[in-house]
Amino acid sequence: MKKLCWKILLLPLFIYFIFFSYSLASETETSAEIISATQWFNPQRINVFIILIVFFAFVLYFIQKAKKGGSLFVRRIAGLDAIEDAVGRATEMGKPILYISGIEDMDNLQTVASMIILGNVAEMVAAYDVPLLVPVCLPFVVTVAEEAVKQGYAKAGRPEAYNRDNVRYLTSEQFAYAAGVNGIMLREKPAANFMFGSFYAESLLMAETGLSTGAIQVAGTANIHQLPFFVVACDFTLIGEELFAASAYLSREPKLLGSLKASDLAKFLIMVMLVLGVLLETFGITKFTSWFFVQ
Amino acid sequence: MNFYERMMNLDRRWIYLVIGLVVVITAIFPFDVPLYVTPEVRSIYDYIESLNPGDVLMIGVDYAPEVMAELHPMTYAISRQCFKKDVKLLLCCLHQNGPGMVEQVISQVSKEYNKINGVDYVYLGYKPYPGITILAMGQNFRIPFPEDYYGTPLDSLPMMRGLTNFDNVKAIINISGGSGTELWINFANGRYNAKLAIGVTGVMTSDYYPFLQSGQIFGLIGGMKGASEYEYLAEKDGYISRAKNQLSAYKTMPIQTTSHLVVILFIVLGNIGFFMSKKKKSRI
Amino acid sequence: MGTEEIIWNGVAAFLVLCIYTFLYKDTPLYKFAEHLVVGVSAGYFAVILYYNGFVPKLITPLKQGQWVYIIPAILGMMMWTRFSKKWSWLSRFSLAFYIGSGTGFAIPLYMQNYVLRQFSSSMLPMGFSSWALFCNILIIIGVLSALVYFFFSKEHTGIFGGTAKIGIWTLMIGFGAGFGLTVMGRISLLAERVVFLREYLLELKYYLYLLFKYGLPL
Repeated sequence: MKKLCWKILLLPLFIYFIFFSYSLASETETSAEIISATQWFNPQRINVFIILIVFFAFVLYFIQKAKKGGSLFVRRIAGLDAIEDAVGRATEMGKPILYISGIEDMDNLQTVASMIILGNVAEMVAAYDVPLLVPVCLPFVVTVAEEAVKQGYAKAGRPEAYNRDNVRYLTSEQFAYAAGVNGIMLREKPAANFMFGSFYAESLLMAETGLSTGAIQVAGTANIHQLPFFVVACDFTLIGEELFAASAYLSREPKLLGSLKASDLAKFLIMVMLVLGVLLETFGITKFTSWFFVQ
Repeated sequence: MNFYERMMNLDRRWIYLVIGLVVVITAIFPFDVPLYVTPEVRSIYDYIESLNPGDVLMIGVDYAPEVMAELHPMTYAISRQCFKKDVKLLLCCLHQNGPGMVEQVISQVSKEYNKINGVDYVYLGYKPYPGITILAMGQNFRIPFPEDYYGTPLDSLPMMRGLTNFDNVKAIINISGGSGTELWINFANGRYNAKLAIGVTGVMTSDYYPFLQSGQIFGLIGGMKGASEYEYLAEKDGYISRAKNQLSAYKTMPIQTTSHLVVILFIVLGNIGFFMSKKKKSRI
Repeated sequence: MGTEEIIWNGVAAFLVLCIYTFLYKDTPLYKFAEHLVVGVSAGYFAVILYYNGFVPKLITPLKQGQWVYIIPAILGMMMWTRFSKKWSWLSRFSLAFYIGSGTGFAIPLYMQNYVLRQFSSSMLPMGFSSWALFCNILIIIGVLSALVYFFFSKEHTGIFGGTAKIGIWTLMIGFGAGFGLTVMGRISLLAERVVFLREYLLELKYYLYLLFKYGLPL
């Protein structure tokens, strides 16, 4: 892995030197009149092209490695520990657990990540015989949620404990859904509320109501505008990419793990090149930075 | 339950009532507030000031009535400034509930300055799929908009002669309440290097400062505060008039001031309550 | 304001007050106003889409003999097969074309604008000789520490963990700024509506005064 990192790190530097030596060429003679035409390849975007190729190579490599069973370490996400504690607390109190998967459809990656986490929560919950309530906003998501919960119970060896009525469609209207969820929180008084997915303005309404009932709340979303509301109203919040990392961590799905590791490697390279670029800029050397500048 | 616990458990409806009263009282008894104009707003204003009569400025109006409180003042102020300077306007709308917003602004402002449709301004109208529409406009405005909003072919409009794509407009100002801004940055500026400035709602403002810092946009009007700064500059140079009730954002600044002070007071009280309750629990 | 404006603005003022009853609880007035706005915006969108999308982009070109537009029309109709269990496989062609072309447009541009441009503009000179150079240091520390926080291949321990902690503080400061701007945005909407209600009441008062004085609607 370290050798691969060094090889990949040297590749852009190699290309940079090629570009740098090209730009040192002397002036040529003035040419005759030319007429412009649409080009198939824009050489001014070559840096974007190279970076895309390198990133795609990372993704494909790590997905292959994950498929072959190679060990890909992903650190434990703090919010996931809180889920286990919350399930334990709900068992002690004899109260249900509420799981909210956001208000977007299955075409949104956050909802997909939420369904993966739901399957794992269902597996945990099945072992402790705690009711798992899953109110859903969109009809198509109901079928996926039912399947995720059923699979979770089956994996835990408790398929008979699965109650289809606990996964219910409320309404597709944003605030009507929030009102319905608030009603469930106030009536059923769940011990733990999990909110993972894509949320908008209804996020604070639901998180505040859950806070007022005294439940442990763990939330996760990639919608930046809703993160402040979850951070203030919930005990643990999965911020942005942590939601996808959590789904990759729990499912160990090769495509998810591979993409996560590839983006980690890309981040590592960005950090290294950023430090290098900053140091060179501080000493007045701008050639390195200008390679990354898009014309 | 002691005082601090009562503060922590205060019914939110009391907070709504207090803020509501503060807003209503300030609306009935307004006062002037001093305004500091931020560089990102001034850069848009100064750029439009530098334009010459006959130059074309494009305004992409991508918002619906639910955010018009913050964005309509910007559109009005920019349109009035342009028309006073005889700068021509090319307007389009890429939000499905927005065509009426543009129509409202342009029909009112054009009457104020006796501007003629097709000569001094062209309103292209609305087309779905904003990303594809922007990409197409970058090649030729006539590809997504063969006709303007009123059904007139673009080629028969005098102003559209010589106006092919983004290269022929001096700048694009996108005023948006949703994800349209991202598409203008990606496609108009990223793909075609169009000179771009944006006006966005308060909620979205913090997301776009990185683009200002990187130079992808040359100006940013953020929310009603930004709109009031723009109106302040425009009023100073006589483009809009307080007597004609044209400072719709600026007149809400006293309400912003008092309500923000109340919100800060509640935050401070809530934090005091939180820390005192925590201290009490640790003693027990 | 004329009679028509007084009436329609009166309807708008009534609906504003209906929505604000939600602050007390979920009232029938709120439900009525909410359903009205959802229905009207859906209906308005359908009409706008038909006259600005469907007619100029499909019906008019077909009438002009540009038969190539039949291909996207068929692809569009294939999307509707998603509602049929037997024929839903046809919609995959349309989805593949839509997602493929969208991805092809978007990915290079997002990489360029959201990664490369931001990355190159973060390579700033550092120093203490001016406020701008000092701010550059803060930006660079913030960017690096936030990137470290979202690095999932190493546990957050030691120096790495300390840097991640700075990252989360940076993020929280950003969230705080976003939160404050959100509060400003929401207060703006309330303030504008209150100003609208105030101005409407003043206009209504003047209108009723003229009506009772002269006995004729304007």
